[in-house]
Amino acid sequence: MATSDTTVRATAPPAAGKRTLMTVLVVAALAFPLLQVVFGGLNYWLHMLLFVFMNIAIASSWNIIGGYAGYISLGHNVFFAIGGYAGAILFAYFGVSPFIAFPLCGLIAMAFGFLIGLITLRARGPTFIISTIALVLLTKILLDNWDYVGGTNGISLPLLELPVDLVKLPFYYLMLLLAVGAVYLSFRIRRSKFGLGLRAISQDETKAEVAGVPTRLYKTLAFALSGLFIGMAGALWGYYLTYLSPAIFLTILVGAKFVLMTILGGRGTVSGPVIGATLFIVANEFFVTQFGATALNIVATGLLLVLVLVFFPEGIVGTLKKSGHLPRMLDWD
Amino acid sequence: MPLLQINDVVAGYGIGPDIITGLSLAVEADRSYCIIGPNGAGKSTLLKTVCGLVQARSGSVVFDGKPLSGLRTDEILRRGICYVPQDRSLFPDMTVRENLRMGGYILRDRHAVEKRIDEVMEMFPILKERRAQLAKTMSGGQQQMLLLGRALVLKPRIIMLDEPSLGLAPMVSHQIFESMNVLKKAGITIIVVEQNARIGLNFADWGCVLDLGKMVFEGPSQTVLDDPRIEELYLGRRRRRTGAGG
Amino acid sequence: MTHNIQILILGVTLGGVYALMASGLTLIFGVMGIVNLAHAAFMMIAAFIAYFAFQLFHLDPILSIVITMPVMFVVGIVVYRLLFARSVADTHKRGVLVLLTFALALTVEGTLGFLFSNIYRSTNPSYASKAILFGPYYLPEGQFYATLMSIALLVGLWAFLQYTRTGYAIRATMHNRTAAEVVGVNVDRISMFVFGIGMALAGASGSMLTFLFSFYPSKHWEFVAILLSLVVLGGMGSLLGALIGALLLSVIAAFVSAEFGPTWSPVTFYLALFVILLVRPQGLLGKRPEL
Repeated sequence: MATSDTTVRATAPPAAGKRTLMTVLVVAALAFPLLQVVFGGLNYWLHMLLFVFMNIAIASSWNIIGGYAGYISLGHNVFFAIGGYAGAILFAYFGVSPFIAFPLCGLIAMAFGFLIGLITLRARGPTFIISTIALVLLTKILLDNWDYVGGTNGISLPLLELPVDLVKLPFYYLMLLLAVGAVYLSFRIRRSKFGLGLRAISQDETKAEVAGVPTRLYKTLAFALSGLFIGMAGALWGYYLTYLSPAIFLTILVGAKFVLMTILGGRGTVSGPVIGATLFIVANEFFVTQFGATALNIVATGLLLVLVLVFFPEGIVGTLKKSGHLPRMLDWD
Repeated sequence: MPLLQINDVVAGYGIGPDIITGLSLAVEADRSYCIIGPNGAGKSTLLKTVCGLVQARSGSVVFDGKPLSGLRTDEILRRGICYVPQDRSLFPDMTVRENLRMGGYILRDRHAVEKRIDEVMEMFPILKERRAQLAKTMSGGQQQMLLLGRALVLKPRIIMLDEPSLGLAPMVSHQIFESMNVLKKAGITIIVVEQNARIGLNFADWGCVLDLGKMVFEGPSQTVLDDPRIEELYLGRRRRRTGAGG
Repeated sequence: MTHNIQILILGVTLGGVYALMASGLTLIFGVMGIVNLAHAAFMMIAAFIAYFAFQLFHLDPILSIVITMPVMFVVGIVVYRLLFARSVADTHKRGVLVLLTFALALTVEGTLGFLFSNIYRSTNPSYASKAILFGPYYLPEGQFYATLMSIALLVGLWAFLQYTRTGYAIRATMHNRTAAEVVGVNVDRISMFVFGIGMALAGASGSMLTFLFSFYPSKHWEFVAILLSLVVLGGMGSLLGALIGALLLSVIAAFVSAEFGPTWSPVTFYLALFVILLVRPQGLLGKRPEL
């Protein structure tokens, strides 16, 4: 909203501050592993960071369908599993390293997303949400019974043969790449006509349709795109763990965490998922070290989600933005 | 003392902007009123504020000497103000009789309600004929008749109707307004919001012109009808605010 | 042929129980417009109450309904007052409310898991291991009683909605919320009441599932997906639809189970959901096409 003030203001545009911040962050992230190479002993931090990067990619992707389009998917970890299993199959049966195959795995997940979306996005809000739960449960049963991928026992993958100090590095850089890629995709979508159409759909789908937005196409595309980076992340994560099983990838709790991260940060914004993912992983790590990854983790996830939904459903970034207190550095919309 | 006094009311929906921006109106018991005005003027919002569906942000609504602020719709209904919304608010899968019965919902005495329903059906023979018919299968005019009948079940002091002629053929609209004359004779104060200024002002005694959330003109309906400013309002004047609904 | 009729009988009787479970869900949707994803989680609470009543006091699970229904009714009222009151009217907030029920479900699941761990449990009253024989057919006795009870409760629910003043108000609100408001129905109070009733029905279902299935806290997701599938098939907000959906899908699932094994029984419901979405998203008796 231009007022006569801004035209008279000095020339340093707000974007410069943001760009500096981003550059600093990315350079720091790129440089960090060098410390490991020189000093060693930082494997825990490499792990935490790459886990954060992965979840930034995941949350930013979920945001496309859950935030921009307003269609809440509670079973989005299906894409994670599809990508993971695709990568595992390509590696275990065809010898193609996930480091090379992961983009393909992402595309496979995206293709599934498109096909599934054609069916499930025929419904609106509540019915769609139900279909996402059914999807996770269905996929779990299917994978549990598919002997080709080991059924409930899952697949084991060979370890990457690198010295202990260096083994996490490729994962670190690839996850960082995914994070940057997913955030960039989210940013471009938000600025595009597609993104505008999605947001119209989330406000009032009937009015959007009447205004000429191709709602079916846009929704399905959003759903598919949201699976791209998550699929890639799944392929890499499976390799990182060297083990995949339906029980790891396809519990409702995992899907719930995707949702919580994005909402905590602020769905519908570009920076929200980044902040939400970072905060959540840190909090989750703290929680797990204190209390273990048990039923209490489920309670904590549920309670946190309740609190966020009741008190600041717009998330951190959303609430700050609404009240006008969002530091410009964090407003990437 | 007027039956209903609306004092400088400001109201809007949710966190949205003010639709009514300081409106005052005195409603006398023995008159019928027609409110006209362009889209977005606040006509429907006014009715909804009076009956409690929308809370006034400032100002007051006083009925029979007692303020209505903070009261729920059903409490206001109990006091004698009945609202018939714009979108054919029937219960589509209930029969005519069941719809009428719902009109008497707040009365505990089943027998009194049933008796009253019989009385209403005498007043509107069409309803008596079709008492077992599902509301959704009736024509627009019949549905509007049903809404009038339902409003009558409680013998309210004031009935407020939001665009009763909406979607109805002119002849049917005339029939509806004929029926409303019956209500007028029964001593019920009627406030009708109408897009069709002519039919509304021909029916009512008093006309009120709303624009941009304020009362810009009020007087005997014939005066309002004859006033050249009406033409201006509907034909010549530039609309300063876009928006849906009146 | 007898084999098929036997499967049919098993399917229909299980369908009756599922219909009871789904009735609360569809009722809440019809009046409040939200999908209560925590429905089955609350069933689990009732299941644990019934389980411990059985273990500690030898209270028959079916009789425990006398406890679980009122308790869950009160729980429902409290949850509604705390979380949903006043937000329900705002249609834009509905997505957030559904997420809230999801979060609630997680919280309940975690709490139950923490208190009681995830081991498989069930009650075994005497009738759980006996069967009624008639001609060449058999029906597990527990199943029989559960179905009878479900029918009784469903008939009671129907009568309540049809003949009482509150029932009228509930039906009116389901048909047309604004119209109900305008004739003087206190729609907020009705929503609260319906939520309580929905929870009470979940309570009865929870009691009975203790001897029909083995249960553990995380199983509620499986139940919820099954119930939601049959509600979507029948049409959201339609009680009759829920009944039809329950019977239809349970029978199909029974055949699937007999042919391919019990693991695939839930898959029937999930696949059915996708098929319905493909063919007729509003379900058999659903009202609004966009659902």
